[in-house]
Amino acid sequence: MMRSTTSHRGSLYAVLGVAAILVVWELLSLVVNPAIMASPVDTARALADLAWGSKLWVELLITLKRLVIGLAIGAGAGLVLGVLAGMESRVRSFLEPLRWAGMTIPAVIIAVLAMFWFGLGDFTVIFIVALIVWPTMYVNTVSGIRSVDPRLVEMGRVYRFPRRLLLGEVYLPGIASPVLAGLTLSTGIAVRATVLAEVLGALSGIGHAFCRANSNLDAPQLFAWIVVLLALMAVIEFGVLRPLRRRIMRWRKGAG
Amino acid sequence: MITFQNVSKSFDSLKVFDDLSLHVATGEILGVVGPSGSGKTTMLKLITGIVIPDAGTVAVAEGAVGYVFQEPRLLPWRTALDNVAGPLRAQGNDKAGARAAAAGWLERVGLAGFEGYHPAELSGGMAQRVSVARAFAVEPRILLLDEPFSSVDTTLKSSLMDILESIIRERRTTVMYVTHDLGEARRLADRIVEIVPGCGVRRFQERVAGR
Repeated sequence: MMRSTTSHRGSLYAVLGVAAILVVWELLSLVVNPAIMASPVDTARALADLAWGSKLWVELLITLKRLVIGLAIGAGAGLVLGVLAGMESRVRSFLEPLRWAGMTIPAVIIAVLAMFWFGLGDFTVIFIVALIVWPTMYVNTVSGIRSVDPRLVEMGRVYRFPRRLLLGEVYLPGIASPVLAGLTLSTGIAVRATVLAEVLGALSGIGHAFCRANSNLDAPQLFAWIVVLLALMAVIEFGVLRPLRRRIMRWRKGAG
Repeated sequence: MITFQNVSKSFDSLKVFDDLSLHVATGEILGVVGPSGSGKTTMLKLITGIVIPDAGTVAVAEGAVGYVFQEPRLLPWRTALDNVAGPLRAQGNDKAGARAAAAGWLERVGLAGFEGYHPAELSGGMAQRVSVARAFAVEPRILLLDEPFSSVDTTLKSSLMDILESIIRERRTTVMYVTHDLGEARRLADRIVEIVPGCGVRRFQERVAGR
């Protein structure tokens, strides 16, 4: 009962937070030149126009496809390499320069380089997203593997768990929490990377549409695409990642 | 059943055992008492093979080994049933068979009806009973008990000891029971050896169990 009340109160404050943003936005649009700051109403109108035509859905699907493929490749690679590196220090040392380079080189440099190598298109965007995403997932997975309770690993060894069972029963569930945190971080990075890559290296997708609206000085549409991006992130976070986390971590329900 | 032959073991500069020889006969319940940090757990780890001696040999008869740790060491993301079934699957049993056997052992330790509970939903005593069920589920020829009652209260300790003792006597399992509590050892063991730390070298002193 108390938890439910707290949760409702949290939701109420979240709604109030959104309302505050809208109010500030509206006030700003009243004092700033409308050519560079669209009001919430104008943005909603532009959004409705995009949604009525097929443009919104076409661009959204293109971006979503690139995002999902890039994220799957990048996060998948980060997860697999992270497990190997977490369990074997030689692999970790071998991959350390790659991890360092991946986290140090700015995303925009990776995007420009990918365009230079592969030109414009789907492959370039997916390549950029995967390359930007993998180190985050890798780092979270390595730290997850290294923080698995050694007493549980010892229990598995005492009971002669074969490597596959040890991985499936002890290591992978043990790293679920940091991996899910890594996936949430990676998804946010992937959305930003996809849009960046589409701005620089694609002729379609939300990033490209955003760029065109900018070139046309169409402030309402520019803001409408930002709202679309926020909605996309909200759907991914609240519709996919949080339910996934609840499902995977349901064993914690009795903790404490 | 278990033979330590001139075993020496050090961790860095700390010498735990020097030229240790000890034999545990089939069906015998050996109590090992000694203060904390005296190397009792290391003896058990040498038997399981997860610690290797620096010199000498530890010979252990073929067959499964059950281990009850000081704390339950249950996988928090698995139910009580699957925690008991895990080692059975490691032995090559299929999932359904392992679960059926596990359910039987949970019933034996008084946890029928709690199969679907996760460790966080169980009390400390119940979790330790799951750990006992897990140890017996593998049909061990050797059972290693590493201060299994140290984290439970006196009433629970007594009921846990009753459960353990009845199963051990019924199955004539060979047991090495490590504890710092001589009273506990006297209750369960046929023979007691005491680790006497001294001059950085551990030697054994035998006592006859007071039972």
